Amino acid sequence: MDLSAADKTFPPYEFRVERGKIKEFADAIGDPNPIYRDPGATTSGVVAPPTFLRTFLHEPRTASEALKVKDWSYIVHGEQEFEYFAPVVAGDVLTANERIVSITEKESRRAGKLHIAVIETVFHNQRGEKVQVARRTLVETGQRIGD
Amino acid sequence: MTAPSFDAVKVGDAPPPLVCGPLTRTDFVRYAGASLDLNPNHHDEIYARANGNRSVFGMGMLAGGYCGRLMADWFGHAALARLRIRFVSRFWPDDVLTITGRVTAKRKIDGRRLVDCEITCVNQNGDIVISGDATAALP
Repeated sequence: MDLSAADKTFPPYEFRVERGKIKEFADAIGDPNPIYRDPGATTSGVVAPPTFLRTFLHEPRTASEALKVKDWSYIVHGEQEFEYFAPVVAGDVLTANERIVSITEKESRRAGKLHIAVIETVFHNQRGEKVQVARRTLVETGQRIGD
Repeated sequence: MTAPSFDAVKVGDAPPPLVCGPLTRTDFVRYAGASLDLNPNHHDEIYARANGNRSVFGMGMLAGGYCGRLMADWFGHAALARLRIRFVSRFWPDDVLTITGRVTAKRKIDGRRLVDCEITCVNQNGDIVISGDATAALP
């Protein structure tokens, strides 16, 4: 990883939260809760499951590319955190701003030298309200996953 | 659902465990499509084996989704203030995952009534797959 990428920010990206996509996600985690399907089940409409927005972090590759990882088979997703400020509802248009919060180096007896990157994504809705913050931790290990 | 009141919740409280599985390759493929996690280690057996894995394995965020489900069922979706998922070990086809939670602390900050919980996801052998924590804001 490129240690100098810490604190880099990236151009915002926008996406629409679709009702069908929420249902598909709820089905995939086996969650029968009607709040993910029936607009009348909550006062705000069809809401997104707690881990749903992780889905939209795969596409824009700008932040992960800035890490300049040589071989992604040495990278593990170590941790994922979400903070919730307001509901994310079907029909919302969200704007995501990504920043590499930190990249640290650590010595591990088991896996050799580790690089640990934390990428933070802040999501605002179409009314400018901050709805969620996601933080993912990527760990570059000395070994390929699966060894 | 309506969130339980802050006063009704006690440290040590635990919801009914959530049991998921036995998991199938189809579960992984379905989550791949829903979540756009197209890492071939999770759906392409030939690729996963060539990479030194005994088979495809599940996405950490699939088990993380189960953790979110436990919290939303427990306190209500709208009460969830924070969720953190740490991926400890991998899980495989035919695994049965059990997700449990427990209240570890209660605190009042800036007029908010917060309940902190730990979340654990284990496989059928008791190996920890996810160790997480979460905070709910209650009325």
